[in-house]
Amino acid sequence: MRDDEPGVDRREFVKLAAGSALAVAAGLSSVEVEAQRNTAPGPDAVERDLALLALDAARSAGAVYADARIIRVLSEAIETRERQITNVTKSESYGIGVRAFVGGSWGFAATRDVTRDAVVRAAREAVAIAVASDRAAPGTTRLAPVKKVPDGRWITPHVIDPFSVPVESKADLLFRINEEALKVKGVGFVTSSASSLKESRLLATTDGSLIQQTFIRVSPNVNVTAVAPDNSDSQTRGSAVAPAGRGWEYVTGLELAARAARYANEAVAKLSAPPVEPGTWDLVLHPSHLWLTIHESIAHPSELDRALGYEANYAGTTFLAPPDQVLGKVRLGQSLMTFVANRTEEGGCATVGWDDEGVAATSYPIVDKGLFVSYQSATREMIDLVAPFSAYKDAPGHAYGQHWASIPFPRMPNVSLQPAARAISEDDLVAATDRGIFIEGDGSYSIDQQRYNFQFGGQTFWEIRNGKKTRMLRDVAYVARTPDFWNSMSMIGGRQTYELGGALSDAKGQPMQLNSVSHGCPAALFRNVRVIRTA
Amino acid sequence: MSQATGTTASRKGLSRDDVKSLTDRVLSFAKADQTRIAVNSGVSEFTRTAMNRITTSGSTADDVVRITSAFGRRVASIETNRLDAASLEKAVRDAEALARLSPENPEYLPEPSGQTYLDVSGYYASTGNLTTEDRGRAASLVLERARAATTISAGYIDVSAGARAVANSTGLFAYHASTAVASTLTVRTADGSSSGWAGGEGADWTTIESERIATDALAKCEAWRGKSALDPGTYEAVLEPTAVGMLMSRMMGAFDARSADEGRSYFSKRGGGTLLGEKVFDERVTIKSDPAWANGETAPFTQAGEATGAETWVENGVLRSLAYSRFWAQRQKVASKPGMSNFIMQGTDTSLADLIGGVKRGVLITRFWYIRPLNPRMLALTGITRDGTFLIENGRISRPVTNFRFNESLADLLRNVEILGRPTRVCASENSSAGPPIIVPALKVRAFNLASLSDAI
Repeated sequence: MRDDEPGVDRREFVKLAAGSALAVAAGLSSVEVEAQRNTAPGPDAVERDLALLALDAARSAGAVYADARIIRVLSEAIETRERQITNVTKSESYGIGVRAFVGGSWGFAATRDVTRDAVVRAAREAVAIAVASDRAAPGTTRLAPVKKVPDGRWITPHVIDPFSVPVESKADLLFRINEEALKVKGVGFVTSSASSLKESRLLATTDGSLIQQTFIRVSPNVNVTAVAPDNSDSQTRGSAVAPAGRGWEYVTGLELAARAARYANEAVAKLSAPPVEPGTWDLVLHPSHLWLTIHESIAHPSELDRALGYEANYAGTTFLAPPDQVLGKVRLGQSLMTFVANRTEEGGCATVGWDDEGVAATSYPIVDKGLFVSYQSATREMIDLVAPFSAYKDAPGHAYGQHWASIPFPRMPNVSLQPAARAISEDDLVAATDRGIFIEGDGSYSIDQQRYNFQFGGQTFWEIRNGKKTRMLRDVAYVARTPDFWNSMSMIGGRQTYELGGALSDAKGQPMQLNSVSHGCPAALFRNVRVIRTA
Repeated sequence: MSQATGTTASRKGLSRDDVKSLTDRVLSFAKADQTRIAVNSGVSEFTRTAMNRITTSGSTADDVVRITSAFGRRVASIETNRLDAASLEKAVRDAEALARLSPENPEYLPEPSGQTYLDVSGYYASTGNLTTEDRGRAASLVLERARAATTISAGYIDVSAGARAVANSTGLFAYHASTAVASTLTVRTADGSSSGWAGGEGADWTTIESERIATDALAKCEAWRGKSALDPGTYEAVLEPTAVGMLMSRMMGAFDARSADEGRSYFSKRGGGTLLGEKVFDERVTIKSDPAWANGETAPFTQAGEATGAETWVENGVLRSLAYSRFWAQRQKVASKPGMSNFIMQGTDTSLADLIGGVKRGVLITRFWYIRPLNPRMLALTGITRDGTFLIENGRISRPVTNFRFNESLADLLRNVEILGRPTRVCASENSSAGPPIIVPALKVRAFNLASLSDAI
């Protein structure tokens, strides 16, 4: 796509996100997805009564608003190295968290003891904590109204429940992956793993919402290490497989054994690859790499809680502030650049039916044809704070607490770069580059607390000369200032290059909580980026 | 410092007796060749401020049991927080079924037995008995002062109190109760042009100086006003203890024999083997760990129940120890040795002012952010300076300067040490939760690579 062509519009995006192309790739038709949503399990009767009991107790103790979440998380991790198992663990965590609002302050209490007495105690404790905080420093927070959802039900669209697949067949798959890597001469080590999660989340609020959701996520991984014959160097190729909000069919569809063979050859090739010559290079970034740059330099700085100062003591603030001076005014890229915030994208790790305040998942542009038009990561208590200058009339559904023991707070939805409307391929991007580097996979990453200065490595680096990928390079990282970098994006791939990357461990908040999030993007070409040599 | 006690009755988390009956019950259900039970129990409490107000406060109670079953070398684990008898029996059955299904792990060794543990108490009643009101008062100390100075404060008080235990089918039983608290504070000018930070961490709440933290964060924010750019480059540097701790905490896993023997570590020797016994850092560098270190106590045992004791890893710059897992120790025919549980770097009585006084032209660094590995073989890291960076000229702070991205090898850093200050326990985690105890001095180093500028404040 050229600089002057418009990005995909919002209607097209919604079609892309919910539409058949991605669902079919995952083995589901859009009709099946719809059918699965309609048959999502409802709440367990005992849990529903306990949640409502907690709300009654909180109200009686003086809460003006309260919510209760009963959450059961099943997780499984299988890890191998070379020809052996290193870990097989299944975990179950079950409990209730009650959040109470008194005056203008929050209190939160959570317990693994999900019995009538304990649930009432937790609710009263949440109120007592809110009262104590409000006395120490009276709060002025106000909560925006939300629509009542009396019987919400949602389940992650999937074909195969990962917990229905026996451990032995998962281990078999991992051993086959390792064997492919070990066939390559020079490979010393290979690790592989498969983790799965299934979570039942019941939310009840004093607004009258009762929502039962089931989330399923899978995350396979492969790392291959080659060691120089004299022990003087080692190089690893890894971190290349994205987690997804999908079933086990996603893992089997990745052809991981074939990937492992390729990674093994790349790890060995890295040992003898020449280091990069530092300087200014054009970069063609593959989606398996670009998702992380998007996560760090577009998604994090556009979090509303950062702009308001909520995260000043940890995650930091943002260069996209103050809101009234940047919204609709700051140009982050050329007109080909449109980013959409959503909790609706098929396969996205942040995709849900409703958030932890009972707000339905939404999808909307935050960067529209290069212009910064909206923040994301907003909850009910922020709508009032940004009313004078924001397009937000309602909360966008971004409250999330990692598990029952975590207080819900603003978390990033999926934030995705929209592909070009034309069918531009990866080869077209390479062909448009005289002297550049093609980067695949995410590597070392670091960015400052306002998201200005960043430095990203990768997994593999190929030199591009006169429109063609040539030899492999190593020790590459690029350093840039966020607005300069995104304004240098001059061409993006079409829908056929679009992939979802993501992470299950995005850290934010105090106490620190992990969020699962995906970022979709096409391959893209950036001009004149500063490249350093890391070794 | 108050004493590491507290009557058992008032303690949070499961008591020794409660844990013993829990692990005995699990073992009574067990039919595997070997069974291990690890217990993590306790309460986490917090108060968070931002925008000069308390934003959230809460309390969480959880008790988690991890059951590991082994048939020969077929091993698997089940983790659960449902502790009624029926759930526990089901967890044991599930762990055993899963173990039978699992492929053999040739590195699995029979559970340890006959361990002797140090007598360490890390539970301080001053921390265990903290209330929401106590945290609210401490958190509120700065709010009025911040408003009066037209600054905006954001802080976090993180408290945990509980117990860890391990038991196994050989009869081994280990229990350790502990507390931890971290208090951190960021103060920013209302226009966002300056930011200052201060913090503290300990097992004992009475060592957390809430007044000092408020004063230091406000003073740092004031001192950093009017910062201006300084060219990137390699400078002499003084790293405050928190900055040193944030780097050194990344080294805890580096003292591993297996990765050194396998050629994947800074401590690998060219041609094979490890650098044990060789000089690796400046001779002023001595690094230890000690489960009984006052206000930095750790459990005197590992997750598998092996005893941990005091250990010297680096002595006067010479590599003295590497950690050997039981498997790797057997393979290499040496005694096994657990890894570091805390990180203690020896220092001197030199004050921070004297460290600064020794610098002709260099940079003073308060702390870092977003530290990530660049190259594990070189112990190379990248990251950003944060919340107070200053130019030092002729032994005095001459002006505040903008932040930098650094790219630096910890090995080079420890070779370039010139003066060490007074060791102190620091809050070394970027998220300000109390973590593995890190006790380090401020350091004056002759070279630190500040590779590029950051506009971040």
